[in-house]
Amino acid sequence: MADPTTVLVTGASGLVGAEVTARLTAAGHRVLAVLHSNGDIVRNNGKKLTAPQAALRRLSGDVTRPGLGLDAEDLRAVARADRIVHCAAVTDFGRPEQLYRDVNVAGTRNVLDLARGHRVPLVHVSTAYVCGERDGTAREDELDIGQHLGNAYERSKLEAETLVRKAAADGLPVAVVRPSIVTGAARTGCVREFKTLYPVVKLITQGLSRTVPGHYDAALDLVPVDYVADVVTEVCERFGEARGLTLHAVGQAVTLREFSDVLAEYPSFQVARFVPPSSFSAAALPARERAYHERVMSLYESYFRRRIRFDNTNTAAFSRHPVPRGGPAYLRRLLDHCLKAGYLGAAPPRRPAPAPALAPTDGSTQA
Amino acid sequence: MILTEEQLQGLLDTSLATLPPGPDWAVVLEGSIAEGFGNPSSDIDFLLIGRDEADLPTMPSLLFVDGRRVEIRTRSVRQLADQFAALEVGAGRPGRLSEDLLNRCQRFLGSHPLRGHALVDEVKGLLRVERFQEIAGAWWAHRARQSLRHAMALDCLDESAEAADWVRAGLVQAVKSWAAGRGETYLEPKWLSLQLERAGRPDVRDRYWALDAAAGAAQGEGAAVHAYLTECLAFAAELGVTGVPLRPERLTVERASRVTTWQTGERVHVIRDRRDVFALGDRAGAVWRSLVLGRPLPDVRDAARATGVADCGPLLAAFLRYGLIRLAWKGAGTVTPALPLAAPPGPVTPPPHSAAPLLSVHGAAVSGPDGVDLVPLPAERFSAATMALVWSNVVVENAREDLRGALQRGQWQVAELTARRAVHAALRGLFSAYGVNPLPADSDLVRRLPLLPPAARALHGRADRLLGRTVSAPEEGDRLSAELGDFVGLVRDTAGADAFPSSFDSADTWRATLELGYDWLRIGTYLDAALPLEEARDLVASNGVQPHQAA
Repeated sequence: MADPTTVLVTGASGLVGAEVTARLTAAGHRVLAVLHSNGDIVRNNGKKLTAPQAALRRLSGDVTRPGLGLDAEDLRAVARADRIVHCAAVTDFGRPEQLYRDVNVAGTRNVLDLARGHRVPLVHVSTAYVCGERDGTAREDELDIGQHLGNAYERSKLEAETLVRKAAADGLPVAVVRPSIVTGAARTGCVREFKTLYPVVKLITQGLSRTVPGHYDAALDLVPVDYVADVVTEVCERFGEARGLTLHAVGQAVTLREFSDVLAEYPSFQVARFVPPSSFSAAALPARERAYHERVMSLYESYFRRRIRFDNTNTAAFSRHPVPRGGPAYLRRLLDHCLKAGYLGAAPPRRPAPAPALAPTDGSTQA
Repeated sequence: MILTEEQLQGLLDTSLATLPPGPDWAVVLEGSIAEGFGNPSSDIDFLLIGRDEADLPTMPSLLFVDGRRVEIRTRSVRQLADQFAALEVGAGRPGRLSEDLLNRCQRFLGSHPLRGHALVDEVKGLLRVERFQEIAGAWWAHRARQSLRHAMALDCLDESAEAADWVRAGLVQAVKSWAAGRGETYLEPKWLSLQLERAGRPDVRDRYWALDAAAGAAQGEGAAVHAYLTECLAFAAELGVTGVPLRPERLTVERASRVTTWQTGERVHVIRDRRDVFALGDRAGAVWRSLVLGRPLPDVRDAARATGVADCGPLLAAFLRYGLIRLAWKGAGTVTPALPLAAPPGPVTPPPHSAAPLLSVHGAAVSGPDGVDLVPLPAERFSAATMALVWSNVVVENAREDLRGALQRGQWQVAELTARRAVHAALRGLFSAYGVNPLPADSDLVRRLPLLPPAARALHGRADRLLGRTVSAPEEGDRLSAELGDFVGLVRDTAGADAFPSSFDSADTWRATLELGYDWLRIGTYLDAALPLEEARDLVASNGVQPHQAA
């Protein structure tokens, strides 16, 4: 075990944040968990996190407010923290632009102010998709290279990470972890909540989206939530070695062709036809499919165009956790879990599903 | 034993005299006679044991001595020791323990020594008889569980007659497991009656035979088979074959490796092992599409019934039989039933379906709504032929469009060439519909029409006439266009492509054509099949972007 430290975790009830909190408390660290609501911290396996009272202190806060909205007593505790792990973010797509700005950009600014004020080293959880819409290899040392960003979420995360880099240039000790698309646990495929890519898979497998613009050699990088939490925790514990680094916490990408081949292994699943974006016309879709496309699929379709690979040289050199073996076998585990949990495999609803539910603003999955 | 020691030694002397001089063998008598079974027509099985380091041949020498068939096998001490060691290693996973290995070990351990008693005892001492009984008992019990679980699945799927047969197989395996624990380890079930006589439990013996006799009575009638299954499961549990409660919900439907589903239009195709294509009729397709992997078999059956196919059991059983799905028992892995000392279990392959024409742009022909029909083409050729059919149709439409343009402008020679292109494309579609792939050269298409059934051959004359037509005036052009239209219509009727959209009529029909093309290309790409056009490969395998247009 590393020397016990006190760690402030924002977004501690989010998918990654909860697992990081669990790992830190299990390793003997004391966690100050910033929570937007008074709910429990639920682990990825759906069980409530149990930790000794001394190891876990819940702080009621809001990252969108200065000082994270903490009261004076909590702020005094924060001042004594050894690390801040900033997981809080809105990661759902299709939300109002202002929400991304408030939570992801202003929230990061507020966290940076707190960190700078007390000279607390910061572990910032970003996203690998700050790379934007491009092909080829995205390196860990790249940030703003004029890339075209896929959506408001990516724009907000790039802006937030840029703020973090500026703070680092001004002397704040910082390390950045960039997960790709955070999905179920590596071994079981289990996931606490079906967000980000999951609704897309649901629409496709139920045949509600039959024609999707995309390239069969586009790559989706799916990374297990447990691996991401392991890397974030490790960076926190071995901050001296990680300081200044940006680490891609990524898996092994699956191409759309592999994705489609794996879907075909499930008798009940429909397999969408991916058509060249240049040939695709949402207006030509049947009315019901067009509705689904506009409400859900269009938010994610840029991920079906990118032929991107994430270089993870820094992570491989730093982390003692092996890069998860992804690919079709991992995808099958994810889908099997979806079937087991009843998320997939049910009869299609008669009417379009509602837009993705509002996410808590104190933490969620990364995409 | 049915033969005396003296008779056996005499048979051995005579047998050895026919063999070339060899080492000083130790010899045992193996098999049914050594076990105390046998009859006058039983083989005499001698095993010769040497201390050679080299492997001795496995193939027996066959002799006929005094009217008896004599088999002589040889094994070195090391080979026998290796057999026992392999048996111990495999004992932890009885499902993977080779029946042949178990049989060889049993036959030696149960053998009667004739020569070299000290060496025989030494080798037999390498594995305790009690340990072998445990291993053999576990091996039979494992098989009994598989058979009984499989029977339970078939019972759940209303395949009563087949279920009864598997119950009976499981019953034999269960009682063999029990008998092995009492020293009756001889594998061949032929002598089961004598084994049960010797086992010293007349109650077990009598109950077994009563249940065995009841199998016939239960055949084919659902409630009777279910009752029979229930009774046999209870008996098996009493015999020590635990882990098979009558709870079909513990059976789950699981993914079979390398089985994929591809739908084109309404036709569902299931591709097994990237090689065999099964075309499913409407009802079979609906049942297949209702399958949710990982769910309990009764739930899967109920969901299939909810599609409107009340008698879905036989369809689900066919999927299982053909290896398109797999059954697992919760906590115990895949259910792999095997009859006692029979061929290894595995998927059945039905005879290929013989429809003609075989293919349409929407997929393979089927025998009827319940068809689970094996397409008589390897998957790759199926896919290539169907893609060629689709693209032929596209080219026909394209050429006819070009013909109209050429005629409007009085470009007579262009019109002639374009019409020929349309005829060739239509013929390519026709050949493809019958599964011909790769296709003959365009110049050879008409000559190769005799490859096809008579209905298709009838197009020979019309095709020849059209290919020879010249145009020098508008009226001739109109006639050519009309005859070409008739010809294409006939080809489409013959090839079953009448539902194909006229690709250039509107943006919608063009889109429908493209979608169909994408679907077939996708299957072809999955199979790494030859695509009819390089451009088509580009659409799927590369970025899909039109090269001269921004995405």
